[in-house]
Amino acid sequence: MSQVNTVLGPVPAASLGVVAPHEVLVSVLPGAQYAYDIRMDRAEIFHAVADKLTAFRAAGGGAVVDAGGMFAGRDVPLYEALSSATGVHIIASTGQMDEAMLGGYFLTPQTNPPTPWPAEKFAKLYADEVTEGMVVPRVERRAAAGLISTAVTASGMTPTDESQLRGCARAAKQTRVPLSFRAGADPLAELAVALDEGLAAERIAVSNAGDAAKPIADQGAFVVFADLDAAVQFARGGYADKTLVTTGGAAVAFGHEVASASYAELLRLVPADLTEQLLIRNPAALLAVREP
Amino acid sequence: MSRINTVLGPIAPEELGFTAIHEHIGYGMPGCELDTTWWKAPEVRYEETVPKLRAFHNHIREYGAGAGGYVDATGICNGRDIDYYKSLSARTGLHIVACTGFVGGDSALPFFERASVDYLYRQFRHEITVGIGGDTTAKAGIIKVGVSRGFKMKELDLRIYRAAARAAVETGAPIFTHLAVDTDPALAVFKEEGLPLDRVLFGHADDGVSQGKVKQDLLTELGGRIGFDTFGYDLELPDPPFWGRHRQDRLNHLLGFLEAGHVKQALVGADANCSPLGWPGVRGHTVNYIFETLLPDLRAAGVSEDTIHTIFVTNPTEFLTLTPGKN
Ligand SMILES: [Zn+2]
Repeated sequence: MSQVNTVLGPVPAASLGVVAPHEVLVSVLPGAQYAYDIRMDRAEIFHAVADKLTAFRAAGGGAVVDAGGMFAGRDVPLYEALSSATGVHIIASTGQMDEAMLGGYFLTPQTNPPTPWPAEKFAKLYADEVTEGMVVPRVERRAAAGLISTAVTASGMTPTDESQLRGCARAAKQTRVPLSFRAGADPLAELAVALDEGLAAERIAVSNAGDAAKPIADQGAFVVFADLDAAVQFARGGYADKTLVTTGGAAVAFGHEVASASYAELLRLVPADLTEQLLIRNPAALLAVREP
Repeated sequence: MSRINTVLGPIAPEELGFTAIHEHIGYGMPGCELDTTWWKAPEVRYEETVPKLRAFHNHIREYGAGAGGYVDATGICNGRDIDYYKSLSARTGLHIVACTGFVGGDSALPFFERASVDYLYRQFRHEITVGIGGDTTAKAGIIKVGVSRGFKMKELDLRIYRAAARAAVETGAPIFTHLAVDTDPALAVFKEEGLPLDRVLFGHADDGVSQGKVKQDLLTELGGRIGFDTFGYDLELPDPPFWGRHRQDRLNHLLGFLEAGHVKQALVGADANCSPLGWPGVRGHTVNYIFETLLPDLRAAGVSEDTIHTIFVTNPTEFLTLTPGKN
């Protein structure tokens, strides 16, 4: 029986039920945690997210995937408490977003010259988050990450983006959790980078695929749609088994404008005849820890 | 009423005493906290840190100049940890002055990278006048700015310089810089914002990689303060960092500056980490180099006790004293 890594430990993929497969629970633009005028009240954050999860559960939802990566608001102990309190499985992700979202540690390390991180170092950082557990920075490791999530710079893949994407793909192959990436200017070329690391297309989900959705799905990868109409059209066009949907928002966000996500609404808006495929089978197939 | 901001609240300048002007409790590049390579348990951090600070405080008591000051130059996203500093200050008796600002543009995380000059100015002003991170006891005593890697001032670096200059003019807090290279754009900004240069410490003028790139004469002539603040990063160490320099060369550099009559513009530090956060650190280098190596070197070179007092007591006290409305 294949398992999925949740913040409360592995569960059978079949037990997830209805999944919002590509969301962000807490979104913090890196640095906003130090802003003098941004108040982050943990109790308020908890209740705001819990309300959305509870509504999702009441509507028949079973799991939410936090695909924000490890450096944009992910808070593993908070997610654990949210999952326990609401009964909704939470699958959290490792990885980081595009180059502009990285801290200087990865870009201008204290070496001479300050060379950005190579793929191998990203691979180890992220694989360790699966095999040893996700970090609470400088405190401890907790449960295994269930997804490796990254992004490519919108205007085009930078050398650091490529290193990171390769590292993520390598870590996904090694740890058998899936890879998700937000495509940049050339989704097919970017997918080719991940495939080049020997990761099977079936283990990859691509968001922001644009016109490349079909060729990406033809290769076997999943396509994540923030536009529900486009997702439905894609699914009905013969790609139902490669279609994933997202609200494109976050439960709560700090430091930047992000649409407020409603997982219950997502479930309500997916046509009934597609619910089983898009929100149950596809997420389970992607999230199950299995041979790459 | 004149005051200096410390992590335990403002103090009268008379209380500060002997001060190391540019140090780090622990420094790491933003994001290093994600890499367990560098993690240490809190008990280990304290074990590595407290004895160094206590020794520094004891040296200062023996020297006979107050409780002593330790100016932490760790910028907002580089592992600055005010609660930790407060406990260290309270338990060792040493005054710890924390900074607001950024080590350089490449240390500012995306939220601040996207911020306007006005927002950055308000961030700095808030940390100086209200408090840091929701804390209203700990206030920043100085503003850190700096040049990104590559020895060339970048747009974001300059945006931070301008915001810092505005906050300095209004709050009276001083500014210290990471690197004293490519200063022409910085001088233009300080001039435009009306900040007198005796409120600016051009830091790391003495490091090994900056030699030949610092307009020291110009900065001095304009009234700037010059940072001889990487003392102890000697190439004679078993495993020196790339910015290291021969011990005698650095000493001669400072001696030359003093002999030229610029004692009032010299500020000195060791830029040492008590317990580094995202890098191995430099073994064998601590803030106590100042007492254990530098002061004996200065005395052996014939530097007077008056001069030593000026460099380590009078200058830092004047520099760190907030001068609102006067900057
Ligand atoms: Zn420093």
